Amino acid sequence: MGIRFDSVTVAYDGNVVLDSLDLTVEPGEVMALLGPSGSGKTTALRAVAGFVRPSSGRVFLGDRDVTDLPPHRRGIGMVVQQYALFPHMRVEDNVAFGLKARRTAKSEIRRRVAEALEMTGMGAYARRFPRELSGGQQQRVAIARALAIRPDVLLLDEPLSALDAQLRSGMLAELARLHRELPDVSILYVTHDQVEALTLADRIAVMDAARLQQCGTPRELYRAPKSEFTASFVGGANLLPVTVGAGGVSFAGTELKVDTTEVVAGARATLCVRPHLVGLGDGPNQLMGTVREIQWRGATHRLYVEVDGHSVMADLRELKHPPAHGDTVRLHFAPDDAVLLPAGVSHG
Amino acid sequence: MAEAVQNARAVRGWSRSSPRPFGALLWALPPIAALALFFLYPLALVVQQSFQPDTGGTSFQPYADVFASEAFRHALWTTVWLALASTAGCLVLGFLLALVIAFVPFPGAKAVARFIDVYLSFPSFLITLALLFIYGTTGIIGSFQFLTTPWGVLLAEVTYFTPFVMRPLLAAFSQLDTAQLEAASSLGARAPRIIRQVILPEALPALAAGGSLVLVLCLNEFGIVLFTGAKGVTTLPMLVYSKAILESDYPGACVVAVVNVLISVGLYGLYRVVSRRAGA
Amino acid sequence: MLVHNRKAKWAVWAVFLLLFLPLFALPLLVVLGASFATHWSGVLPSGLTTANYRAATRGEALQALTTSLVTAVTASLFALAVGTWAALAAAALKKRHRRILDALFVLPVAVPSVVVGLSVLVAFSQPPILLNGTRWIVILAHTVLVTAFAYQSVSAALVRLDPAYEQAAASLGAPPAYVLWRVRLPLLLPSLTAAAGLCFALSMGELSATMMLYPPDWTPLPVLIYAATDRGALFIGSAVAVVLMAATLIALFAVSRVRTKASYR
Repeated sequence: MGIRFDSVTVAYDGNVVLDSLDLTVEPGEVMALLGPSGSGKTTALRAVAGFVRPSSGRVFLGDRDVTDLPPHRRGIGMVVQQYALFPHMRVEDNVAFGLKARRTAKSEIRRRVAEALEMTGMGAYARRFPRELSGGQQQRVAIARALAIRPDVLLLDEPLSALDAQLRSGMLAELARLHRELPDVSILYVTHDQVEALTLADRIAVMDAARLQQCGTPRELYRAPKSEFTASFVGGANLLPVTVGAGGVSFAGTELKVDTTEVVAGARATLCVRPHLVGLGDGPNQLMGTVREIQWRGATHRLYVEVDGHSVMADLRELKHPPAHGDTVRLHFAPDDAVLLPAGVSHG
Repeated sequence: MAEAVQNARAVRGWSRSSPRPFGALLWALPPIAALALFFLYPLALVVQQSFQPDTGGTSFQPYADVFASEAFRHALWTTVWLALASTAGCLVLGFLLALVIAFVPFPGAKAVARFIDVYLSFPSFLITLALLFIYGTTGIIGSFQFLTTPWGVLLAEVTYFTPFVMRPLLAAFSQLDTAQLEAASSLGARAPRIIRQVILPEALPALAAGGSLVLVLCLNEFGIVLFTGAKGVTTLPMLVYSKAILESDYPGACVVAVVNVLISVGLYGLYRVVSRRAGA
Repeated sequence: MLVHNRKAKWAVWAVFLLLFLPLFALPLLVVLGASFATHWSGVLPSGLTTANYRAATRGEALQALTTSLVTAVTASLFALAVGTWAALAAAALKKRHRRILDALFVLPVAVPSVVVGLSVLVAFSQPPILLNGTRWIVILAHTVLVTAFAYQSVSAALVRLDPAYEQAAASLGAPPAYVLWRVRLPLLLPSLTAAAGLCFALSMGELSATMMLYPPDWTPLPVLIYAATDRGALFIGSAVAVVLMAATLIALFAVSRVRTKASYR
């Protein structure tokens, strides 16, 4: 079952925290809502769960308009940042909670609790209390609890942010596996971490300042961001102010060849080049600059090169003879690795 | 804009656990009805009776009579100054003692904090009972008429009510970041300065809350005064009791009760507003 | 951490003990000492005896103890029920309405207990509800007096209760009544027992309203202690007071045992 936001607006005391969101999550799709705090992504998720009511607009689950339904009639599974496991119940009772509330038959409850715990690898911990579990284990129980009611829609609100980095990457793989085992469940995944979104999501909706900025597959967002915000929030980006000419742009007096079919000549624009697509030495689209800083990151070197007062980042495969601080170097990038963005719309 | 604000209100009501505001109001009715029947209605009857002299009819006569009596004016004055003085004493003493327990901890400081909790659960008249042995006519200090003066009541009230100030203070102090104190003292600030500039501002809401509670409890205190057995110290609650039970002057008792309630509730309301402003 | 100098520390502690012991520990010790004595004219009590306790645990004193216990338990249970209901209802209300309910239920704290006694006496000595002369008028007054405290503690606990729990329960399909019974009330249990203990202790020591209301066959301990001291039987009064304190402490201890068992975090 899919999720559909139909120009959903949420406001508190006249403060708009979600501004006419239009978004569709297809059945079986993993959609990540990615954005900084205060961007409205959690509000959107809570509107689906029924904990905030839109000031205007409708929320659909499948074909059903659920805007006016209380949370307990919506049939969704939800996992939140702090898990909210019931501290007075054992793991098995936590997982059985939703089934008991629905008056499911006892034998069926037992079967489905065992199944959900097995699926999350927590079968051995059924008799424990939440306080006797580690953070990662509590996380798994929270997921098992949400899955036990067999929801068509799973809402995950920053589910990994309370875990340390190592556990987080393990749990990411677990979530991906769970989704392969439950291909019909639609997942709405709220996060501020681009790695989680890029790893897990079929599509990513980038949010900022209560608005949807761009929605697309991870590859689309990475290769063809439509705004400076998306470009800098999903992966790092060099954003250079340029003037559009015929068949190219000019940056700091240098002519650069890029695709200009979608922009008017003479307009001001922002050129976006990913740091790892910038090369050192001669090539097309050359830029001359002074090395201001060199960071060795093991597999790569990152150079910060000052080109006419602008800092350009380049991520290079580990260099045998890295340039020294203050050296003059040439950088280049391929014409089809650069994207032209409208000048300074969001961060102007 | 007006619509947006209205919608926001709707969101507020919804985002809480109960989805229907009307249903929530309905659920609040039974306890309110119980309160009205067993507390508000009797209180209203007291007000009504205060306007009905024994001679019949409805008039201000009971008020005129009571206000004209020397005993009432004396009791009013005694009640107010005793309560104010006791509150001031409790605030100063409670602040000092709580400071030591929280910031100059000694072995057993935890036990002392526990003891305060237990102390709060004992009735007030125990203090007067003990003072009867210490200062009473057959007591340790001997035939000293101290207890029959207002100063005896003041001592008992400060003794009994100081823990009511200490408890919220200790709770507030336990929230205070000790790193802040260490930073202040590492910058060379001396203890009085730290107390004035770091601790006192943090403690103000707790002091206001504790102080308001103690003020009202002192205005309403009955057991301590009753147990002194002294005719010299009469407060408003004592006057209510003696007029109603000993003299069977119900209209008079009701007048004093109304005055007492107005002072207590008025001051309590004022203090709650002030302490909310102070950021409690 | 405030005073670093060793000498200054000792000075501060000395002042603390000088203030604390005479003011707070001494009164309790004096009552305890007197309860074992027959005379007190020097520094220490004399004529040590346990006769006071024999008097304080039989006959009229024993009956007063039962009276106090029954009154306190009944009033606490009523107060807890009404206070919890009101606090739960208030938590679901909009802010403006919640303020009104808060003010209404805090009011009995601000109104003098003597006046509560007087008002209950005035109201229930006349039809339609005649309670004067029965034990119920005492229990009723105690309930009114302690409900405010039950309401306040449960309200405070509700504010601290993380809404994530009830939201998780709702998202799992549990209707509000089920969430209340299986999630919110169990999580509130430690606060509920704490509130019950507070109500019990307050009711055990209640004197002001009781003095206005008690019928001859329903004399709680505080009234008995007052009667004893009033006729000059200070030492027996002390023994009864110690019995009162002990009963209160035992109840509080039992409640705190339940509380530690019921707290999960």
